[in-house]
Amino acid sequence: MSDEHSALDPAVQYLVTEAKRPVTVDAAARERLLEVVRAEPRPRRDVPVVAWLVSPKRFALPPLATIAAAAGLVGIGVVGGYLINRDGRAPTERPQGAVVASQLPDSSPSRAIKFVLVAPQASRVSVVGDFNGWDAAATPAMRQPDGSWTTFVTLEPGRHVYSFVIDGAHFVADPEAPIAPDDGYGHRNSVVVVRGASS
Amino acid sequence: MKSVLTGLASLLVVLASPAALAAQVGGRDPLQRLEPAVRYKVELLIDSAKIYGLPTPPLVSRALEGMSKRADDRKILAEVTREFRFLRDARVALGPQVSTSELTAAAGALRLGISQSELAQLARSRTDKVLTIPLVVLSDLISRGVPRDTASTTIYQLFQRGAADDDFLGLWRGVERDIDSGTDPGQALLNRAREIPARSPGAPPASTGRPDISETQDR
Repeated sequence: MSDEHSALDPAVQYLVTEAKRPVTVDAAARERLLEVVRAEPRPRRDVPVVAWLVSPKRFALPPLATIAAAAGLVGIGVVGGYLINRDGRAPTERPQGAVVASQLPDSSPSRAIKFVLVAPQASRVSVVGDFNGWDAAATPAMRQPDGSWTTFVTLEPGRHVYSFVIDGAHFVADPEAPIAPDDGYGHRNSVVVVRGASS
Repeated sequence: MKSVLTGLASLLVVLASPAALAAQVGGRDPLQRLEPAVRYKVELLIDSAKIYGLPTPPLVSRALEGMSKRADDRKILAEVTREFRFLRDARVALGPQVSTSELTAAAGALRLGISQSELAQLARSRTDKVLTIPLVVLSDLISRGVPRDTASTTIYQLFQRGAADDDFLGLWRGVERDIDSGTDPGQALLNRAREIPARSPGAPPASTGRPDISETQDR
């Protein structure tokens, strides 16, 4: 070692010697250090997006955008209300069968009308009319064990024109109902009158 | 960041606007499937109906019915036009104090050849009664082959004698049954009409035990 450092400046030689001298460390120091570290709370490692979302922010919108946003929210309410039926049930929640009539509030002028068509050979039957926009998919009937098809429709008081649709293509009048005047389209419709104030 | 927020807010507004929502849930203009020229004319008829104080749902329904039955657009326009004229003529015959149901029932009778003067005569004798069911039964009878004049005269006479809705419904059931069993339609009507007793207008009919076509009966 002395040969190795003999050519060095004495000051440098001193620094090298000091640097190489073993340091005596307290044997319990490492354990004390680890205890201190363990006592510290774990640091939060937030995902940047989450941190951004949960931290308070300020932003401003021009009045026009605010009004538009409010109108949009009103629109959600209006359309939502449109989709919910008068009796407060969404179409998919509408019960089938005779219970419909009894579940309507007494003050409601609407009436649940049962439509029945005996068509044992049919694979699909629905009811179309002025109450469902003549939409063949809107009011499907359910097949009964006796070969008839039934469905219920809640109607307002008044005169309603309707027809059955068999297998999505054949329009058939209700044989048990009054005949509507010629439809002009080459088919025959039926009429149901729901009695009430405006009928 | 500000531009991102502005963009998000704009997108929210657009998505939540009533028109956009209506489009998303299928609440589009039901007539939009018509070719533009036909649709324009149908909308003109609907606007005209508003001006005349006529109900517009029957016109829209007539167009939708045609679309559902896969009718040609020109045919649909022709039928909506006819319906408009019948509604207008029915309004003239019945006067302004009629319900939409009475008006559409009267338009149906006109469609079958009943005259405006016959409708007006019926309306004059109505007192406080509703014309819907007598007109529905009248149209049914003519559609089943009862001569128009026989049907019109019989319904008018029954109405004048105070026949109630249940009387007309019972008449309809009976005539339908008789025609099905081979009786001449006109004769069936005359036979059944004789069974209906004269009442003072407004008096309730005796219970016939027959079903009616209203909400209590299966269709």
